[in-house]
Amino acid sequence: MSARQLTGVILTLAFAAGVIFAWRHAYAGGTELLFDTLWWLVVFAPLAGITLAGATYRKDPVIEGDRVLRHDSAAMLEHWTHGIGTAVLLISGISLGLLFVPSLLASDTAANAMMNVHFVAVILFLFGTFYYLGNTALSGYRFKEHLPTKNAIPYTVRHYGLLLGSKKHTMPPEAKYFESEKMAYIMALVATGLVIITGFLKAAAHVVDLPEGLMGAATLTHDIATVVMLLFFLAHVFFAAIAPGSAPMLKSMLTGYVPLEHAKKEHAGWLEQLTCGQECEADAPASPETLKG
Amino acid sequence: MRPMADEAKTVSRREFLTGIGGAGMGAVIGGLAVNALWVDDRVFAVEASGGYLLVDTMKCAGCETCMLACSLVHLGRSNPSLSRIQMVKNPFGQFPSDTDQVQCRQCPYPSCVDACPVGAMHVDPANAFVRRVDAAKCIGCERCVNACPFTPSRVQWNFEDRTAQKCDLCADAPYWNEDGGPAGKQACVESCPMKAITFTTAIPMQNDAGYDVNLRNAHWATLALPTD
Repeated sequence: MSARQLTGVILTLAFAAGVIFAWRHAYAGGTELLFDTLWWLVVFAPLAGITLAGATYRKDPVIEGDRVLRHDSAAMLEHWTHGIGTAVLLISGISLGLLFVPSLLASDTAANAMMNVHFVAVILFLFGTFYYLGNTALSGYRFKEHLPTKNAIPYTVRHYGLLLGSKKHTMPPEAKYFESEKMAYIMALVATGLVIITGFLKAAAHVVDLPEGLMGAATLTHDIATVVMLLFFLAHVFFAAIAPGSAPMLKSMLTGYVPLEHAKKEHAGWLEQLTCGQECEADAPASPETLKG
Repeated sequence: MRPMADEAKTVSRREFLTGIGGAGMGAVIGGLAVNALWVDDRVFAVEASGGYLLVDTMKCAGCETCMLACSLVHLGRSNPSLSRIQMVKNPFGQFPSDTDQVQCRQCPYPSCVDACPVGAMHVDPANAFVRRVDAAKCIGCERCVNACPFTPSRVQWNFEDRTAQKCDLCADAPYWNEDGGPAGKQACVESCPMKAITFTTAIPMQNDAGYDVNLRNAHWATLALPTD
């Protein structure tokens, strides 16, 4: 078992143990919410993410025989901690009540238990998200390759038109990320930012007294951002794990690699950047790590 | 001679991130260590309420008028389930144990106030220290509902507005054209046709079963019923 697989197994078991502890804590007669007793973890988790990012040296995408390294270990850690945290946050948050939809839970003990599960997911989500933010601060080119270009809207319309079968044409060479993904990234970025800012306020309200107007606005914003996150999450899971042809992408998030043939077919622009080397450096976004090496 | 700026050591972005994160984690752990060693000498104590509701269950006829009035003046809705004063009927009980009026006793040690993590349940100095809920601050954890030492809890869960609620002696009764609160009137007192509820500013004698109340006064006597 590789170090990466071992890390994945340990993190998964730790998160599962945390969720079970959170649930049992409420049903074992614990009236204290974890948001009250372990509130400091809400501060500690993002700091741990930033610190780990500072200690992480990343590997750039590279062609290795008949496969291409698309995601390094850091990208996978960011993705799965943020993604699994988001999934559990959505499930626990919506079941506790969202906007005008009342709580789905039948008892106060169940509400306490689900609030505790929400807390454990918050810790994982904050760690993953701030690990991503730290990594992004260290390598701005990785952030730039997520940003839409001037072709974003027509490419996105054509991309989904092709997927739905309503348009017939050949897509121009796409970069590492589709223009449609870049559009969705902006939406997810804004929603994540709002969820985190308002979430910090809601967590702080367990420790200090905050103005009622501020809490009312924070709760409403948190709920609206949650709806946006839910839409993004469902679309992301569908297109990245369920839709026909998504298998190589899903596999790459577990192994780090995509087949060379897949990269040629779906991301010709990105592959061209990787293969042309020095000739493309003037055009391609430069990687500080690559330049150093 | 080279300029000073060239000789100054610069901090890389990676060093800055690691430093900020590490220092922050150190501060959190240090704070926890100090907190663990610090002897907490805080005492939770609040002023006694300046007003109380008294209910004589022997006079209560079980009409629920008080519950409808309570819900109406506070929320603009006549729903007994949203009333802060509850009348519990026991079909198997015999007089005077066949009805039980349960209202907030404005406890000297309000467990509900102590349990609230966000200060929504509070002692209101502007209204004679009545124990009240600030609905806008309530996060819906229901700890106050569970913390109430009485059964059923004198703090109710408002299932429509999704907040905790309790008797505030009508301090906040926006749907009533009377002045409420300890210095004003209370809707249940005013509406009870049996005069089974009254208001007092003196701390009443009470035991686990409730207040020792006898409201069987002249009004009761006019109905040709015993007053003792």
